[in-house]
Amino acid sequence: MGGGRKVVCQAFTTGYIMEIFLQLTLSGLSQGAIFALIALSLTVVYRATTIVNFGHGDFVMAGAFFVYVLVIYAGLPYLLSSVLAILIMFVMGLGVSRGFIDPIKSGPHIGFAMMSISLGYVLRGGARFLWGREVFPMPRIFDMEPIFIGELVITGDVFFVSLIVAILLSVFFFIFYRTKIGIVIQAVYQSERGATLIGVNVRAFHQSMWGVGLAMGAMAGILIAPISLLHPDLGATFLIRGFAAMTLGGFGSLSGAVVGGLLLGFAEQIFGFYISSTLQDITAYLIILAVLIIRPAGLFGRTITVRV
Amino acid sequence: MAKVKEQNLITRERLRWVYYFLPILALVIPFIVNEYILWIVNAILVYTLVTLGFNIIIGNLGQLAFANTAFFGIGAYTAAILMVYGNMPYILAIFMSAIVGGIAGFLASVAALRGIRLYYLAIITLAFGELMRWVYLHGDTVTKGSDGLKIPEEIYFLGLSLDSEVPKFFVFLLLTVLVVKVTSNLMRSKIGRAIVSIRENEATTASLGIHTAKYIILAFVWSGAIVGIAGAMFAVLTERVLPEAFGLTEVIIHFGMVLIGGTGSIVGSVIGAITLTTLPEYFRQFPGMDELFFGIIIVLILLFLPKGLVSLLWRISPAFKERYYRD
Repeated sequence: MGGGRKVVCQAFTTGYIMEIFLQLTLSGLSQGAIFALIALSLTVVYRATTIVNFGHGDFVMAGAFFVYVLVIYAGLPYLLSSVLAILIMFVMGLGVSRGFIDPIKSGPHIGFAMMSISLGYVLRGGARFLWGREVFPMPRIFDMEPIFIGELVITGDVFFVSLIVAILLSVFFFIFYRTKIGIVIQAVYQSERGATLIGVNVRAFHQSMWGVGLAMGAMAGILIAPISLLHPDLGATFLIRGFAAMTLGGFGSLSGAVVGGLLLGFAEQIFGFYISSTLQDITAYLIILAVLIIRPAGLFGRTITVRV
Repeated sequence: MAKVKEQNLITRERLRWVYYFLPILALVIPFIVNEYILWIVNAILVYTLVTLGFNIIIGNLGQLAFANTAFFGIGAYTAAILMVYGNMPYILAIFMSAIVGGIAGFLASVAALRGIRLYYLAIITLAFGELMRWVYLHGDTVTKGSDGLKIPEEIYFLGLSLDSEVPKFFVFLLLTVLVVKVTSNLMRSKIGRAIVSIRENEATTASLGIHTAKYIILAFVWSGAIVGIAGAMFAVLTERVLPEAFGLTEVIIHFGMVLIGGTGSIVGSVIGAITLTTLPEYFRQFPGMDELFFGIIIVLILLFLPKGLVSLLWRISPAFKERYYRD
């Protein structure tokens, strides 16, 4: 979304203050859409299993790399590759839950944190081992002439990313709140023991939620890779922003993750433009610190603090 | 019958003498290895303290706080800044690093005391560490940004010039042994037992009339001070303090050292530091191999040796278990 910046500078010289703000909002929201998707994918796993996937950034990267492999080496069309990569990541999620999380289920949370970090390291190390330290251009599918609305410029990237994330989120929330599967998921979220009593297989549920989480992470990776280029460290920057979005919206809240992601994207642009461009990198950290100190529950979350 | 006798061979009393003897045995290392290997040995000594400090919070106190690189970086920059701009003698700079590290530890404990625990604590401390790194990067006038702050050429520790790896080794060994011994005593005292008790059950501990907040603060401050000292050693070891040395990947390596060695064990901290400082040296030439190796070894440890490599020693004799440690 580097394109937005240049346009902003041009507009600045002509002095359209409102247009600058709108342009910043637009690019902030489209970045925020990606953060929202990542935060939501983290939340899905967290709500189901109470595990925060600290290696999620690398799973996001792995999803994008699978698309790259399928398009470049296997010569498959882009859309088919994306669907296949998302399926691969879903299956990987099942495997991670079954093979790596279940065996240490009885241990302390420190083990889960380290397990997810290590699995991420294996993926990142694997990608670096196979492809070296280079940066890969991902084939672009969103090539489109920018749309002009008055002084506002909407680039193809911004347009498609926002559109696709909006569709994905609508589908997700529709499934979650309006279908039978969604109601079962909500039931397990509320009470695992209760769900077990009415015959829900909670173990299989945990596995499939890992699958869904990683698949959604892969979607974010596939959307971001054509814009940010593909490299093994792709995910690391997005992980901390996913955390910031979750914290801002309220840990464990699904709609909070989306709102938090959008707000974070917006805040990054505003801080970066109006205060200092070096602040853009640490907006996420500042938000985490501020939220956890002032209101640990975030915007929509329940109380998380422990009192003894 | 024979088996019982074999177990009696290793007793806590005898092991104590072994532990005392090990640092004396280590004194011969500089005379039998070359500069490069000695540099790695020095790094092991630094990372022993890093792991030891981290282990107090993760293993003994049982809190998921990742502020370790923040303490490490704060210690390193404190020592470097005081030596470069204040012309302070190294021994005083180490002392100041410990104090400033302890203050940073206190700040981290405030988050835990406010009731921010588990993943929230992990995330807020990660953010703290990254913010500190941003400060090193953008505090150009003092920290020299991404070029790194070069420490003075001539450094003396009580009159001993630290111009090569050999004198550094003796100084580092002295510091490490001192800190390990004090920490070991501290962890066996009332304080250490209260800290482990908080890990096991905070509410029960409080109900026994133990002021939990006090011991949580103590654990964080002690951890910060130890890692601060390690930072001051690290500054002299690398001779140039760079912001990259205190990033996210570093804190994960520290975490790995704690887990590989064994959570909540001082012997484990030493084993973890040795393992993860030496082994990656072999994989340096292949990109990605070190990460791959790190990931795989920790997955294997978590699956098959959840108490860390130190639990292999426990199988030989229970005398290796630290007394305050219970499964």
